[in-house]
This record gives sequence, structure tokens and C-alpha cells, in this order.
Amino acid sequence: MEDSHSSLFNLGILDTVTEDQLHEILHSYNAFCNATQSLLLLGSAGDISFGAEFISHVHTLCKHGLESLVCDHFLKVLEETFQRNGASRFWRHFVPYAGLNENDDIDIDEDEIDSVLCNALEQISLEKQSQEKCLLILVQALQSFKDHMLEAETNYVTSKYQWIVSSVLMATLPPVFPAILRSYFKRRLEELHTTIDGEFADDIPLSKVAMDLDEKVKVCNNDGEMDVDVCYSDRRCSENSKMVNNIGKVVLDLKSLGFTSMAEDAYASAIFLLLKAKVYDLAGDDFRSSVLQSIQSWIQAVPLQFVHALLVYLDSVSYEITSSGLKSTLALKPSSCCPGIDTPSESLVRWKLRLEYFAYETLQDLRIAKLFEIIVDYPESSPAIEDLKLCLEYTGQHSKLVESFISSLRYRLLTAGASTNDILHQFVSTIKALRTIDPAGVFLEAVGEPIRDYLRGRRDTIKCIVTMLTDGTSGNSSASGNLGDSLLEELNRDEEVQEIFGIDDDFNTDDRQAWINATRRWQPDPVDVDPLKGSRNRRKVNILGMIVGIIGSKDHLVQEYQTMLAEKLLNKSDYDIDSELHTLELLKIHFGENSLQKCEIMLNDLIGSKRVNTNIKATISQPPQTSVVVEDDAISMDKIASTIISSNFWPPIQDEPLNLPEPVDQLLSDYAKRFTEIKTPRKLQWKKCLGTVKLELQFEDRVMQFTVTPVLASMIMKFQDQTSWTSKNLAAAIGIPVDVLIRRINFWINKGVIEESTGAESSDHVYTIVEKMAETSNNGVGSGNTQDLLGDDEVEDRSRASVENQLRMEMTVCEKFILGMLKNNGSMTLDRIENMLKILCVADKSLQQLQSFLSCLVSEEKLELRDGMYILK
Amino acid sequence: MANINVHVETGQDNIAPSMQPLAPPKSVDSQSVLRRLQSELMALMMSGDSGISAFPEEDNILCWKGTITGSKDTVFEGTEYKLSLIFPNEYPFKAPKVKFDTTCFHPNVDMHGNICLDILQDKWSSAYDVRTILLSIQSLLGEPNISSPLNQQAAQLWNNQEEYRKMVEKLYKFPAA
Repeated sequence: MEDSHSSLFNLGILDTVTEDQLHEILHSYNAFCNATQSLLLLGSAGDISFGAEFISHVHTLCKHGLESLVCDHFLKVLEETFQRNGASRFWRHFVPYAGLNENDDIDIDEDEIDSVLCNALEQISLEKQSQEKCLLILVQALQSFKDHMLEAETNYVTSKYQWIVSSVLMATLPPVFPAILRSYFKRRLEELHTTIDGEFADDIPLSKVAMDLDEKVKVCNNDGEMDVDVCYSDRRCSENSKMVNNIGKVVLDLKSLGFTSMAEDAYASAIFLLLKAKVYDLAGDDFRSSVLQSIQSWIQAVPLQFVHALLVYLDSVSYEITSSGLKSTLALKPSSCCPGIDTPSESLVRWKLRLEYFAYETLQDLRIAKLFEIIVDYPESSPAIEDLKLCLEYTGQHSKLVESFISSLRYRLLTAGASTNDILHQFVSTIKALRTIDPAGVFLEAVGEPIRDYLRGRRDTIKCIVTMLTDGTSGNSSASGNLGDSLLEELNRDEEVQEIFGIDDDFNTDDRQAWINATRRWQPDPVDVDPLKGSRNRRKVNILGMIVGIIGSKDHLVQEYQTMLAEKLLNKSDYDIDSELHTLELLKIHFGENSLQKCEIMLNDLIGSKRVNTNIKATISQPPQTSVVVEDDAISMDKIASTIISSNFWPPIQDEPLNLPEPVDQLLSDYAKRFTEIKTPRKLQWKKCLGTVKLELQFEDRVMQFTVTPVLASMIMKFQDQTSWTSKNLAAAIGIPVDVLIRRINFWINKGVIEESTGAESSDHVYTIVEKMAETSNNGVGSGNTQDLLGDDEVEDRSRASVENQLRMEMTVCEKFILGMLKNNGSMTLDRIENMLKILCVADKSLQQLQSFLSCLVSEEKLELRDGMYILK
Repeated sequence: MANINVHVETGQDNIAPSMQPLAPPKSVDSQSVLRRLQSELMALMMSGDSGISAFPEEDNILCWKGTITGSKDTVFEGTEYKLSLIFPNEYPFKAPKVKFDTTCFHPNVDMHGNICLDILQDKWSSAYDVRTILLSIQSLLGEPNISSPLNQQAAQLWNNQEEYRKMVEKLYKFPAA
């Protein structure tokens, strides 16, 4: 058997082997086997004579060239012993925790696990050390036989042993072990964290002091260098060194057992978990302060500190071992991650980068998930935006932001429940906020698109936009009350600020310097930019442009403004148009003088009206007999103020018929006569239903003041002569339809001035004036608040009606043109229809809008769509 | 106590006269033709006259296609005729060229679709527009001028309305549906 054994290894020697030699070999081998067995059983504690015997046997065998046999056998026995004494015993410690799965919550006493782990590690390390000593004896034996034994051979034996140890352990690894490791590191780190954090909390206020962005970055960079040792290690290393050393020992043990990567994974994941928790804790839902700085300092203070200490410990141990000679190879071989003295800084840098990236990414994810809320309180939340910007610069995951933000927009903002005003404000905030993150506006393009598309589908979008643009503090209260300044004004300020900066930049530096600055400022488009969207040339994000983009063209916006301006001007009772002039000037800057010509004429009309009004009154004051006597009060022409408009330049004004009370009508025609005298050949045509009337109603027990429309004034004046009217008669007297009267008179009923009751016919209502408040105790309204503007709902009604009318009008025109077009030209494609409408300037519609309009007509069975051609039915 | 201030409109106060109905200037630029045709088109589309319709053809606003349906109680009842209208650059000071695209059996329409109608020739006035032209042609269908016919056969047959109706139906091609 031995023959066959040796023949396998050294066939050449076989021929020369004599009987004696064979015996000697057999004897030595048997003795060697026994010695090995007992050596390993006894451990290194065996006496020296025993060792000497062992050595002599080894020498004998080596003499016959059987070194490899010796090694192999020895290692095989070592493996068996380790399996029996080391591994199985080691794992037996963890059997009780086998049910512990990675995902389950650990409900077994954690301290117990920790101590079990430590004990088990200690035990197996001892076992391993004793085996290593045995191995050392073998190595020494081999060395003593061969003085010049190569180091490589020694290394071969030791590394082979190391392999055996780790493969035995790995082969029998229970699945629960990594989880146990992780939990151990997590708990240790948390302990460490609480102690360090206590001190860290004292420092934080200092670093938290608000700093300029540049400064912040600078500080980060400075901190980034390896002054960890200087700053922290002196103070803290000693305090926590015991704990770190304990951990270090565990790591070292694990490493020596071949669990290098598993140990690293475990403490890395523990560190990351802790970091994540810390980021969540620091960042939370507070967007009003920047947290990046404190996260960074925390990374410096806790995890990096830990890693540093750990590395230092591991390094010092391995260094000691290295200096202690041969033994080092055993301990160090597998843990080659920190072979030199200089390396801590290098691996520490790597750790720092990893941690920071992780922190940035965590914070970024956190902020992106909450971006919607952040933008809701935008100006206050700008620190969070700045943080996010820095994070994104680091991680470059802009597309994540875009995707997540769009989905939250869809889910939370672009729903039927959100008011158009809110959507617009959020849109503007989004633009402002994202402008910080992405000055080139590339992502804004992607994010803005769904908002724009959605807003286009809303009817009141234009109105809201115009209100938002033009209505400042001076605007009427019904509109956006929360906006202090008109957006336009704000935009203008922005622009001025930008311009001033621009001038500064270029003024102080010569051309070459300016060019260099420009090139330095240039940044390429982010990688994930969709080349189809957004051109490279558009460098500046134009808020106004984006808003106008919602409407489609600035003409629509101007048109809407004109309508609103007309309404506003017509409801003015004085000629004060300063704020309107100001707004107009602002609009002119953005939209050009030409498009706002009509609005300018409208304002000029008002200025002209003021002059004409004064002139007319001046001529009247000379013949005082013109005043008309109504009962005992006289309405003099002084009370009239007219607004004279050039109707061609005003939006169409609905003229409802209305019979004004006789004296007022007389007064108006007198006024008109005066006007003709002054301004021949021009004539005044009254729009009697427009304007406002200030009234004071005197009752038996009270006096009330109102500012109302002429219709309402005429109505109430009728009750002067007759305390009760049927709805039919009253409508006829005023000259308006009955249904309009019934709707309008509600104003007086709500004010408690008029009472309603059913008349003789069921369709007829009877209205009676309420002379005494006491009579209608249930109607306690109105006596206190005497001043009231026009019925608000009515104003709303009218303006909304005008917008709707305009829309409907546009639609009918469009429909008629399409029908006419198809009737005379036969079938046409969508493109041709669109082209035709464009040439004829009928409707400014996008292709999609037109298509949906056409499919409406198809569903109404007016058209037919066949092979992409529209045909008249 | 009524303090009344009422808003007023005057015909024109301080405005440029650009919105005035066209006072015919001597030299006409193509711009004004376009503008005129555009406003005529708008008026025609919004007028809602049944039985007459016209619309520019392709991108050239000077070439229109028109449609006339035969009036009720005439031999042309239930028919629909296509016309083409070509406006000169001098329009509205020169009459447009109007002819039938669909064959029309009518005393004042020849086999090529040319129409003999005084307002399209010597009686043209710039006061006429597409709408009045189309209405005139529509009424011409029911009330032909027998004294100066382009289509002798039609003129002779006109007195026999029943026979005429048959002829109209025989020659009439229903628009491809």
C-alpha cells in the first residue's frame, strides 16, 4: 500500500528502494501517523521529547523524499480534527438560533447572541491557534531537515491549512450565521453611536450655522481630507477604543476563519443601516433647513470614526504580527486588505466616498419622494431644494426625480379636486424650484409637460393665468388672496436682478476674462436629456414663456386680459387707473406694444372720459335749472360720471335692454346732448345696463346704502311709487325678461329689502317692500352691513358667461367652416383641414384639439371619417 | 339719493378708421382682396343660408368651390350643383368668373357650364358678394331668362315643365356619395 502510495509520487526512487529502506519507511510512517494523531489530540502541549520523536520521523520520511506525503497526511488529519473539534462545535453554538431568518425580527435575547458569538469565536480561535502550533511544529521539522527550505513551501503549507479551515466552515455554514453577524455589528455600532452621538450633538450647532453655499462646499472638501485623525481620534479613540477593540477582535477572528468578506459585508451593511436611519432622522419632514452639512459632519464623527478605529486596530494587530515573524503569515494571509501602514488613509478615503455617496443617495431618495410637499412650501423649503441639488450633482440620478415627481403630480395635483389656481401656483413654484436644481431647464421641460397638458383641458385656465399675472395687491379680493404681488411684477424684479448681475459680470472684466468665465459657467446638458425635447439653445428658464405656453399663444392671453380689463374698468366708479397703467406697462415689456394696443386705447378712453366728464359738468354748472326734481330730492348732473369708450377697441359688450327710471333717463339724455354740443359730430349712446349706482334707501326705521348695477337700482326705484309689484308687471316696467328679473331680484330679497310671496297665478310672484325690519324678524340680514359691492355672484356669472360665450362662439365658427369646407371640397384629411383653418385664421387650435373636435362632430353624426378622410354625412 | 354713473358708448371717439367698411380706393393691393374674401367667407359661413355654400379651394383663397341646391317647387328641386368661382386680383371691382362644374341643363347655362347672368358681366357692382352671386344663380335656376338662351334645347323645353324635369333628372349626376 505504501508502495503504491509512494509510486504515485516518485516512481524513479522506487527502483532503488531496498528491503531495509522499505522497513525503515514503513516504521517511520506508522510512527509518524501515530505521532501526528497524538500531537493533534494533545495539542501543542505535548512535551518536547515527544516533539523530538516526531521530528525524527519526519526527517526519516523526508530523507526518502516523502515530504509531500508527510504534508498531505498531516493536513488531512488536521482537517478531520478541525471538522470534529472546531467547526461542528462552533456551529453547535448557533443551533438554537437556526430558526432566526434574515427577514424575521430577532426576538431572541440579542445580548445572548452577542456573547454566544464572542464565546464561539474565542473557542474556535483557540482551537485554530493550537492547530496552528501543531502545524508550526511540522513546519519547523521540515525546516530543520532542509535548512534552506523555501519560504514558498512554508507558505504553501500554511495557506493550504487556511484554505482547509475556511472551506470546512463554509461547507457547513448554517444560513443564519450572516444574520447573526449583521445583528451583532448593528448592535455594537448603535452602542458606539449613542456614546459618540452624545458628544457629537454638542458640536452640531457649530457646524449647523448657516453658511453660504460656496463656503459649505469648501468646508466639505476640507473635511474630506484625512484630518479625521486630528479632529476626532485623539479625543474619542481612547474612550471608545475598548469597544472598537472588541469589535476589531471579532472582525479579526472572523477574518482568520476565512469570513473576511462576510464580516465586511456585515459591518458595512450595519453602518449603512445606521447611516440611513440617521439621514431619515436628521432630514425627516423638515424642509426649512439644510441637513446635508450635518449629515456630513455626522459621517465624519460616527461611522468614519468607527471605520477608522477599526482599521487602525486591525492594522496595528497585523503589524504586530508581521513584526513577530513567521506567525504573521498565518494570520495575515487571507486578510490582505490592509497590508501596509499607509493604507488606512486609502481605504478610509474609499469608505468615506462610499458612505457619502450612500448618504447623498438616501437623502436624495427621501427628498425626491417628498418633492411635491417641498415644492408646495417652496420659498420656505429652498434649503431642501439646495440639498437635493447637491445630492443630484453627486449621484446624477435626475431621471429618478423626473419620474417620481411626475407620478406624484398626476396623483396629487392633476385631479379634478384641485383648483386651477392651486395648480398654477404649484406650477410656478415647480418652475422656480427646479430652476435651482437644473438651470438649463431640461428636466423642467419633462416635468412641466403633464401639467401643461392638463391645464389646457381646463376651461378657466386662461382666466386664472391672467389673474395671476396681473392681479397684485391692488386687485379685487375675490381672486388669489394669498399672492402678495402680481406674478408679472415678481418676474420683472427677477429679470432686473439678473440684468444687474449680468452687467456687473461683464463690466469689471475684460473680454477675454468674460469669455473664460462664460466657458467655465457652461455645463453640458445632463446625460439623460431626451434630445427630442428641449433645444440646447434655450438656456434660460422663462417662467412667463412656460405659462404662456399653456395657453398656446400670447394673443389669447392678451385677449383674455383685455376682457378682464374691460370688466374692471367698467366697474370703476372713479377714474383711477394707475395700477392698470402699471400692469399694462409690465405686460408691454413682455408681449410688445403692438399686441396691447387695444388695451392702451381702453385706458386712454378712461382718461378721455375723465376730461369730457369734467367739461360737461363745467358747462352744466352755469345753468343750474337743469337739475331734475325727484320728489323732494334733486338728482343733479354732478352725480353722473360717464365712461366713454371707443367700442371698436373694446371687447364686445352685451347690451341688455333696460328702462331706467324716468328722471335718470332724462338726465342721461341731457348729458348726451351736452356731449354732442362739445364733441360734435359725435353722439353718445348709453349702455344703460352697465355701470354702477350708489344708492341710499331710506325706510321708516333704517337707512341702507348700496352700490349696485343699474338693473337693481331701477328695480328698487319702482318700489318708491308702489310698495308691491307682481313679477310680470315689474319686469315689463323695467323692460327685462321675467326670468332675469326673478333671478336678479334675489339680491334685494337677500338683503331683506323686499319680500317675496306667491301671487294669484302660481307662476306669478309678488314682491313687497319691507318698510320695517321688525316685521321680518326672520330676515335679520343686511341692517348692519350697509355697504355692499355688486352682487358678487352676478359679476362671476357675467364674466364666466363671456368666457363661455367666446368659447362657444369660436366652436360654432369652427364647425361652420369645417362643414362648409367639406361640403365644397369633398373629403379632406385632418392635416388639410387644419392647414385651411390656419390660412383663414379661423381658429388657433393644435392638431390634437382639432382632431378631438372633429371626432366630436363625427359622434354627432355630422361628419364621417373614412380612411383618414373626413366626409360630410 | 341716487348718484348715478353710467357707462356710455359712442360711435367712434378717438379711433382710427381701419375698421370702416371698405371705401373703395383706386389702387388695390392683393392684401385687401384677401381681407375682403376672408370677411365674405366669414359672413357666408355665419349667415346659415341653406342651399348655398362656398369655400376656398386648397391654399389659394382666390379659387373657391361653391354648392347650390335647387330651390323647392322648381324643376331643380333635390339637385345639387357644384360651381367654381375664380376671383380676379381686382375683386371686388371686377366680377369673379363663375361656372358650373356639374352639368346643368338650363337655358342660361351652356354645355361647358358657362353662365349667362347680367350681374356677372356688365351689371357687376362691388356691392355684390359671394353670397349674393350664389343666391342670384340659385334663383336663376328657377327663373331662367328665355329670351337670350345659351342652351336652345333647354329654352324650348322650359314651357313643358314635366318633360323638363325628366331631362334634368336624366342629365343630373348625383354627387358621388
